[in-house]
Amino acid sequence: MKLARLLVLMRREALATLRDPFTVSILIAVPLVALLLFSSILSTSVEYLPMGVLDLDRSPASRRLVAGLAATRSFQPIALANRDQLDEMLRDGGLSLALVLPDGLDRGLRPDLGPAGPGRARPQVQVIYDGAETVLAGNAESFLGATMAATALGDAGVPAIVRASGASAGSGSVVRVVTRALFNPALDGKPYMVAGTFGFVLSFATTLIIAVSVVNERAAGTFEQLQVTPATNLEIVLGKVLPLGAVFSLDVILMMLAAGFLWGVWPAGSAVFFLLVSTFYQVVSLSLGLIISATSATAQEAVAKTVLLATPLIQLSGFALPIDNMAWAFRWFAEVIPATHYIRVSRAIYLRGEGPLDVAGELGVIVLMGAGLVALALRAVGRRA
Amino acid sequence: MNVEPIIRVDGLVRRFGEFTAVDHVSLRVHAGEIFAFLGANGSGKSTTIRMLIGLLRPTEGSIVVDGIDVMAQTRRVRDHIGYMGQRVSLYQGLSLRENVEFYGGLQNLAGQELDHRWDRLRERFALGDVEREAASDLPAGVRQRAGLALAILHQPRVLFLDEPTAGVDLVGRALFWELIQEQAAQGRTVFVTTHFLEEADYCDRVSFIDAGKIVADATPAELRERTGTDYVVRVTGPPTGLSAVAAALEAALPPRAAKVTVEGAQVRLRMGSLSPERIVALRTAAEARGAHLLGIDPPDMGDVFRVLAREAGETAS
Repeated sequence: MKLARLLVLMRREALATLRDPFTVSILIAVPLVALLLFSSILSTSVEYLPMGVLDLDRSPASRRLVAGLAATRSFQPIALANRDQLDEMLRDGGLSLALVLPDGLDRGLRPDLGPAGPGRARPQVQVIYDGAETVLAGNAESFLGATMAATALGDAGVPAIVRASGASAGSGSVVRVVTRALFNPALDGKPYMVAGTFGFVLSFATTLIIAVSVVNERAAGTFEQLQVTPATNLEIVLGKVLPLGAVFSLDVILMMLAAGFLWGVWPAGSAVFFLLVSTFYQVVSLSLGLIISATSATAQEAVAKTVLLATPLIQLSGFALPIDNMAWAFRWFAEVIPATHYIRVSRAIYLRGEGPLDVAGELGVIVLMGAGLVALALRAVGRRA
Repeated sequence: MNVEPIIRVDGLVRRFGEFTAVDHVSLRVHAGEIFAFLGANGSGKSTTIRMLIGLLRPTEGSIVVDGIDVMAQTRRVRDHIGYMGQRVSLYQGLSLRENVEFYGGLQNLAGQELDHRWDRLRERFALGDVEREAASDLPAGVRQRAGLALAILHQPRVLFLDEPTAGVDLVGRALFWELIQEQAAQGRTVFVTTHFLEEADYCDRVSFIDAGKIVADATPAELRERTGTDYVVRVTGPPTGLSAVAAALEAALPPRAAKVTVEGAQVRLRMGSLSPERIVALRTAAEARGAHLLGIDPPDMGDVFRVLAREAGETAS
């Protein structure tokens, strides 16, 4: 390997990348659009969710609870007349979830009024949600639990029975609400999604750009021409991935600034550490891109393969859906996806402010996967030559 | 020529699965020769050239270029060769000058040395006006010349050109061949593939490949002679005196130099070689009988190839 030759190759790649309008627009648009899109639409935070309220108690306590929930802006209470209306609206999709406040709630909460009645159990609040929307409802459910815990209801220790309706969950499955919101007490979904979006952009856009770039060079004949010069395969590959890696590190900074200034989402941990980890993670994506390019005849094929790869990336990496909710086979598969580990590290730094020692295990996995993929990529490029 | 050939290929085979693209090809190319490697699309010529420059590993056989075993020392041979592929590989996003600096840099050429070499090439190849233009804006003929200039920037001993004139107009092709011949005159060996059969006449030696096998390897003149394809001189004259014209023309040439026939309103003379002196002699003889030369059709290398391909087919079956 000769440094002078590598610098010549890198200089050309940097020039070509910055001059190509397609690449530049992807480099700027994909991170920003992904941030806006995922952090707003896919955000797991609960806002103005239509919530039916069947108040059978009609007491100060029940009214206080509904007012308290409405004040969080997370729910939009809709008063219901009876149980039939509740069932109908839930079925039609008019409601995301419904709350049944039982008769005697007020009395049950006020020990000064004496026991609710001889032999009667303590009042129970029922939460019913559409079982088809597990993620949304699940989040609403835990939020509801937290809100209820914060009101007088919680102080009195009223247990909530949560029942999922709909086909996917058998009716009557009784769950006790356990609220876990240790590091994101406001239950704001944005930091969570922002931290995940880095994983998406650095996995998807990086792989796409390198794959298309190599396939295009092959189609133009320049790759073949390079292989007839004294440049080695390693120099050719490094001459391509190093400048692109540097450009994507700039993208990471761009995204950090955008998330910070748009939503006030800054990493809780070290920004420099985050940048270092993100820069290293690109070894994985760039290698994947090289492997895709080596097995694709046209740019269209490379794009199709990258998009195909992005599907499990979004579905299984824990980026949008919690891995803990998946069947065991998918949970296992998620561990094989490098993005899963990067997203975990990213969230650890962004949400919990963890440092190198805390995430050493995940980093180790990324390093191992990176080494394996680099070896595969070099073989793929060599074989293609 | 008794000297060691600069390219020596023996028993070269390349299979892709069941398909044999190159089937026991052996070649000898001598230093300073322009060697044309001709064949139809899919005949195996690009596969062969890719093996010769170390881009593709042969299934069997040996290749020695400028004393280097290409299969054992693939990287070393790259200092000795220049290559220009079918798609001239200029980086589209860069100007021609930036391309020169890039490819020069990879060959360890920079600064004054690069400027010096490029200045000379730029002038001879008529590229001065377009140096600052983006490669993507160059017309095909200019791009082809620029590609050739880049391929010889590091002064390689052997130049491999894979269909260098594809997509270039007739004038551009003639100029391009002039430049190739200059390179050969300077001692550079040129190995060129083409499917423009008439371009074989620019070359010292011609090899025809068909279905992965070499079907002919000779000088252009030898091939024409072997396949009976000739120059045709067409003469027209007074309809009643055509046979007298034919006899006079035949008498103007050495005995049995040409086959003379009267076809319609024309006399046709077929001959394997044609010198300027013979043309003058024929014109004088024709004009003495009130006739005149209509034209001269050069032998068509396409005809040569068709004959060779037919022969190869007959041998195979």
